[in-house]
Amino acid sequence: MSLKRVGILLGKDFLQGPKNYIFVMAVVLPVVISLVISLVFGTLFSEKPKLGVMDEGSSQLVTMIRELPSVVTKEYGTVSEIKQAVESGAVDMGIVLPEDFDNSVIQGEETQITAYIWGESLAKDRTILGVTIANLVRELAGQEAPVEIEAITLGDEVSIPWNDRLLPLIVLMAVFLGGLLLPATSVVNEKENKTLEALVITPTTIGDVFVAKGLLGIILSLFAGIVILILNQAFGAQPMLLVLVLALGAIMAAEIGLLLGALLKDWTTLFTVWKLGGILLFAPAIVYLFPQIPEWVAKVFPTYYVIQPIIEISQRGAGWPDIAVNVLILAALDLVLIAVVILALKRTKQYAV
Amino acid sequence: MNLRIIGALISKDFSLFFRNRFFALMTVFALITYLTIYFVMPSSVDESLKIGLYAPVMPPVFEQLQEESLEIEVVESDEALREAVTEGQYVAGVALPADIMERFMLGQKPQITLYFASDTPEELKDAVVVLIRELAYLQTGQPLAIEMSEEILGPDMLGMQIPPRDRLRPLLVFFILIIETMGLATLIGEEVGRRTIQALLVTPMTVKDLFAAKGIMGISLAFGQAALFMAIVGGISGQPLVILAALLLGAVLVTGIGFLIGSVAKDMMSAMPWFLVALIPLLIPTVSVMFPGLITGWVKVIPSYYLVDTLHRAANFGAGWGDVWQSLLMLLGFNVVIVWIGITALRRKFR
Repeated sequence: MSLKRVGILLGKDFLQGPKNYIFVMAVVLPVVISLVISLVFGTLFSEKPKLGVMDEGSSQLVTMIRELPSVVTKEYGTVSEIKQAVESGAVDMGIVLPEDFDNSVIQGEETQITAYIWGESLAKDRTILGVTIANLVRELAGQEAPVEIEAITLGDEVSIPWNDRLLPLIVLMAVFLGGLLLPATSVVNEKENKTLEALVITPTTIGDVFVAKGLLGIILSLFAGIVILILNQAFGAQPMLLVLVLALGAIMAAEIGLLLGALLKDWTTLFTVWKLGGILLFAPAIVYLFPQIPEWVAKVFPTYYVIQPIIEISQRGAGWPDIAVNVLILAALDLVLIAVVILALKRTKQYAV
Repeated sequence: MNLRIIGALISKDFSLFFRNRFFALMTVFALITYLTIYFVMPSSVDESLKIGLYAPVMPPVFEQLQEESLEIEVVESDEALREAVTEGQYVAGVALPADIMERFMLGQKPQITLYFASDTPEELKDAVVVLIRELAYLQTGQPLAIEMSEEILGPDMLGMQIPPRDRLRPLLVFFILIIETMGLATLIGEEVGRRTIQALLVTPMTVKDLFAAKGIMGISLAFGQAALFMAIVGGISGQPLVILAALLLGAVLVTGIGFLIGSVAKDMMSAMPWFLVALIPLLIPTVSVMFPGLITGWVKVIPSYYLVDTLHRAANFGAGWGDVWQSLLMLLGFNVVIVWIGITALRRKFR
């Protein structure tokens, strides 16, 4: 293998890369998806009940509701607006406060609130919103709570917000979209255009070509992974350890990409494999989204050993001793994959040199 | 249009597809994967708050509390309550003091202890605190000076909520359909690129025959897979004809988009970015099914809205022809326009 020739090939791929759709997609798509998921979906997955308020007067209750941490509040200007919001499911419950509501409550007069309830809202959300409103009205009326409540937290498990649950999926997409697809498409492309055969007639070996393509995938994949972690402010207290895990993940992605490139002969087949394989690669991140699914399911997939150390470092502040086993398994998987890629290359008689 | 030629072209495309065992196998595997995702997702919705209660003396208001949203289980000791909460059996544990009723009667404030597991979301903790406080108000006979008149908007799904996996169903079906767009676009793009289409057009085959054959091939593949998926997941048990009609129109939609992308793509690589350009906006309506209320009326300008809306309403609410005919008509209208644009764009390319 010639490092000089690998460098020249890598340089060529980097220069030609931006003209390639996959290259652009591999860099841009994870960033776009990350931004969309973080900005939009992060708040969508909130389990807080949603309360809509339409105030016909100027009730203090609106301000009190707005300050509630346990409820998502939205305000509406007209009854038809609030009814439309409830019907569409934008809020679980919409209440209409009549004019002079506060005075009536303070004076202890019977007052009526109209509450529109979304048919699909959960029973517990309806109850939570009902008692929350009742409590606030009592507070407004100056009633004193007849009990003292002491809340005690047991155990040391931490609740994982949806933004954090989605992070593994985004990181895997960033690392594997470019890291796997770039080398794979690049090799398949060269095969389809017959330029690979032309290359191996020169002193360049098939090994040089594959190493260059693999490096391209690793570099881009690592870059995309780091950008995603920065964007999501998930670098944690061990940035170097995180980069190490990302690098091992990028190597795995590139190796799978090279393996596909070595085994598959055209784009259509590659795409078909991606249709299935893509889902399998992202499976551990999907398992992480739903804590009800047992963790052992995720352990079956190789990408688990990429994502688990990243979660441990970025979300749980773990250090080397906590992730060592998984990182070593990841490194071992990388070594096995290198051997498989070499074997696949040797068996591909067409390109054997 | 020559039916014999169309038939020959379709059978050629199908035999090419199924002769390639890898393609055939992978298509089956992909379908199995979508099915696995469906069956792994939760099949029910937990609507209630499960609360553990340790009460040496049971206040009447707690005893009478029987709501669909609350499941209160009495435990024998404070220790057992703490253990159960730590193990996640309850979202919260409520420990009442032995002298609670005496204190209420003396006008004093008894202290109630609430136990939460550390991974209980803050909003749930606040909600339970508010709930217990409200029960205490009721127990001490402090009436609320308001009356709430309630009106349920839309079908009341209390006790029969749509499970997450059924909400996901239109998204999975849409994915199965749209993925075929990519295959068809690549097939057409490659045939145009390799000039095999021009070669075919030298034979007695007309452009119409060609479009009919490719269209039927694309529609059959997309529709067949989507219908099979829906049949397995029980999506067509309620309104089979409505669902099948929607799937067929959906298959025509993705075939039209496939024609359109095929007119600008040379191969799979160049089809990919156009596929993404089409995929992203078309996916938005599926989000509105998974997260109701997120997207407002503007989503109706996206053709796939009428597909996922029909699938969602027919499969999850049992909507019939009378409820969804307008959506199906809109989808048909979009199909006519998109297929026409796709064919026109491809015709220009042949010339």
